[in-house]
Amino acid sequence: MAFDEKENKPKTSLGRLSRRSFLSQAGAMTAAAAVAPLASSPSPAQTAKADATPAFPGTVSVTLRVNGESHAIQIDPRATLLDTLRETIHLTGTKKGCDHGQCGACTVHVNGRRINSCLALAAMQQNAEITTIEGLGGPGKLHPMQDAFVEHDGFQCGYCTSGQIMSAVAMVKEPWGKTDGDVREAMSGNICRCGAYPNIVAAVQAVRRMS
Amino acid sequence: MDQISESKIIGVATRRVDGPLKVSGAAMYASDHHFPGLLFAWPVCATIAKGSISSLDTAEAEKMTGVVAVYHRTNIGPLYRVPPASGFSLILDEKRPPLEDDEIRYYGQYVAVVVANTVEQARAAAESVKVTYNREKPDADSKLRGSPLTTEKPEEKSKRGDTAAALRSAKVKVDSIYTIPAETHNPIELHASVAVYDGQKFTLYETSQAVVNHRDVLAQMLGVPPEQVQVITRFLGSGFGGKLWPWPQSALAAACARNLRRPVKLVVSRQMMFQSVGHRPAIEQRIQLAADLDGRLTAIEQEYVNHTSMLDDYDEGCGEITPFIYSTPNLLVTGGLARRNVGNPTAMRGPGAVPGLFALESAMDELAVSLKMDPVQLRLKNEPEIDESLKIPFSSRHMKECLTTGAERFGWANRTAEVGSMKRDGLTLGWGVAACAWLAARTETEASVELKQDGTARVACGTQDIGGGTYTVLAQIVSHETGIPVGKIDVVLGDSALPSGPISGGSWVTASVTPAVLEAARNAGQRLLLTAVKSENSPFKGRKPGELEFVGGMVRLKGQAQSAVPMAEVLRIAKINSVAGTGKSAGTLGAAKPEFSFHSYGAQFAEVTWQPEIARLRVNRVVTVIDAGRIMNPRPARNQIEGAVVMGIGMALFEETMYDRRSGAPVNNNLADYVMAVNADTPQIDVAFLDYPDYKLNALGVRGVGEIGLAGIAAAITSAVYHATGIRVRDLPVRIEDLLAMPRSDSAD
Ligand code: FES
Ligand code: FES
Repeated sequence: MAFDEKENKPKTSLGRLSRRSFLSQAGAMTAAAAVAPLASSPSPAQTAKADATPAFPGTVSVTLRVNGESHAIQIDPRATLLDTLRETIHLTGTKKGCDHGQCGACTVHVNGRRINSCLALAAMQQNAEITTIEGLGGPGKLHPMQDAFVEHDGFQCGYCTSGQIMSAVAMVKEPWGKTDGDVREAMSGNICRCGAYPNIVAAVQAVRRMS
Repeated sequence: MDQISESKIIGVATRRVDGPLKVSGAAMYASDHHFPGLLFAWPVCATIAKGSISSLDTAEAEKMTGVVAVYHRTNIGPLYRVPPASGFSLILDEKRPPLEDDEIRYYGQYVAVVVANTVEQARAAAESVKVTYNREKPDADSKLRGSPLTTEKPEEKSKRGDTAAALRSAKVKVDSIYTIPAETHNPIELHASVAVYDGQKFTLYETSQAVVNHRDVLAQMLGVPPEQVQVITRFLGSGFGGKLWPWPQSALAAACARNLRRPVKLVVSRQMMFQSVGHRPAIEQRIQLAADLDGRLTAIEQEYVNHTSMLDDYDEGCGEITPFIYSTPNLLVTGGLARRNVGNPTAMRGPGAVPGLFALESAMDELAVSLKMDPVQLRLKNEPEIDESLKIPFSSRHMKECLTTGAERFGWANRTAEVGSMKRDGLTLGWGVAACAWLAARTETEASVELKQDGTARVACGTQDIGGGTYTVLAQIVSHETGIPVGKIDVVLGDSALPSGPISGGSWVTASVTPAVLEAARNAGQRLLLTAVKSENSPFKGRKPGELEFVGGMVRLKGQAQSAVPMAEVLRIAKINSVAGTGKSAGTLGAAKPEFSFHSYGAQFAEVTWQPEIARLRVNRVVTVIDAGRIMNPRPARNQIEGAVVMGIGMALFEETMYDRRSGAPVNNNLADYVMAVNADTPQIDVAFLDYPDYKLNALGVRGVGEIGLAGIAAAITSAVYHATGIRVRDLPVRIEDLLAMPRSDSAD
């Protein structure tokens, strides 16, 4: 899914800087310091540019399809999908909470199914369709699940939230029962240390009722 | 102090202004920052808890592909110690800069750091650094009372009357020992530092609950003036106290960036999160209560010991709440520290109060059982009129109403006191209650507000939003004062270059920012009125500012709606881009002679279900009533209390950092073995706010809700467990093994 940069533009400085301006300012480090961005808003074209990673010794070439775009990149063969998304493709919406498949913060969709991206090697995902939180919807154009999380206050710090939402979007399509208890069970692979669980359940149930 | 009671926006449930960024992955947390030429650092951690380094061989690591540098004691460059703290500046828990000497004092202490092109290369090379140690036997013993303390005898923390005499002559007594294991904060966001150095200035993207203090500490450590350090935390993946003060990885990342003149990212691993970024210490407490037969307390004595590290003195302060929560003529609180080979402990959500109230409120339940008295009644009976420790009035205390409201919502009147006497659907029910309290305060705060020609406002403050909703709170305050809608208010936080704001700790942010932001907004409004009377072509030209008012985003003649001109128009006519105002407010903490005792209060009611046949214990239902002044934004406030209850279930039933006695290593150093409550563990939670504004604290009457929800909940749960099973668990967490010791009930229903 491509972003509509116009619609995606947030109203306040919380999200005002685009990745383009961010990176160009970051080039001059003193300028970067003065305009620390609050939000990233990558567009596919810009991301493709960022993919021109230097070929460090010990890296290999792979091509990943993320959010409908192809990324030809150089990565360490040991790189996880999570680290590759974050550090090479610069899609930092996917978070690292444990690196061990224990918290769910890194949840993404691979061919429509939820997985822990910290447990997958990037080099083994070459033919897969990968979707991250950025592919679901941007701040100005939220997916119904993202909107439900805002409406029901399904987070506090927001750090587990990308994983919760990716998990929730996949869960809605899985064969679970209708009750709150089913949602709690289905969402228990995603730890929220802030404990926003009641609101997460409310958000997921609101979306399930809609569909 | 002025009182603002009417508002269309204060106290109204408001969607978070930063919500869309958080749900779309666009919010920038520390480790999300990237810069051209970025390198990755990975620390090498000591694999012993006591001893010294005998050799450190980096040759193999240095030769590995992608490795740029390996730093250790002799080549990291100068890192200085920090002068003693004053106020909220220069605070840190682990005072020894990383790599300062070769002595090892806890498992996981950093001994070197590798910098490489990719994170995989850095981690692999860190594993290839060969370190040999002179190994000594560490002391990570969890038994605390009776072991040598850091002071000759326990320190007296609060005292009145004569507890010894009262305990001797008591009609009814409780004398019990309660223990809490070390707990690890485990925010889902790993601690991280991205350090950028341009040859003069350090820009540090940090996981910090206190950016201004972090700047001051790092400037000292690096040996540069504070102007040459800027600390930025736009979003924090929460901290629960663990990110209040800088930890060693921050200085390491900055030193690497300084040495290499390249940006360096260091993200701590989950294993390291158990070792070197703080934890709630292991604590042992002895509580003695004395009471008359009618339940009136005659004495409270509390003695606590918590572990601390070999170099630093962290005092958990478990007697925080004890001196004022109940009325009693005789009271003694003492505390002591026992050194262990562990990383330095630090404040974890509700420090002092949370462990202190687990012990005190458990003892109150034991007293109620001894007296055959209802535990709610026992607490109501001992309600004090004033703060008996400071001999001053409470600013606003509604503890009794918390208890009675909670009892009503919970259905407490249906409780039968006998152990195991309540059943539902074949399950044994247990009902427990606990009272709770938490310190309320303001800390010194500066803020600025700008009114802009495009019709928006900008408010800036060097505080942080750690998940409590501070971005939204500041927007609400400015909206209330100016009439500009929340959606048009740009809130800027999390940057040490902004006007100095409060630490995100103590649940003080909302109370602290309120006066400063209100004043800044008022001053900006005054500047706007001045602009309106001075500028050419202004319809108000020649008037006096005092004849005008700034209401609902409009400038107008006082009380005359038809004369109103929008703020944007006033500025456009004047050809001015923006007008600004600043505000500054003093703190209440540390006042020599406080007039009022400021606290929040609450009551926790818990229902557990117990199935002895399959040894299954669940927390089924919780009712929490909170008296925290006026609630600024009920939506995130409720969320925080619910989240604290969830954390409290973890504290009561699951959480424990286990140290291997032989190696001193925290062995359950991952999120599978350190068990925290997940969605499926969440009970039905009913949160009620009493909503009595505390105008003695600030004009809006707000106090703060970040911590109080975790206070008391563990005692309510263990009391419910007792009510269901007859087993009094005094050592957290409750284990199934504890409950299996119970005599099997053979009731037939
Ligand atoms: S980071 Fe992948 S499950 Fe925690
Ligand atoms: S919102 Fe903070 S961890 Fe879930």
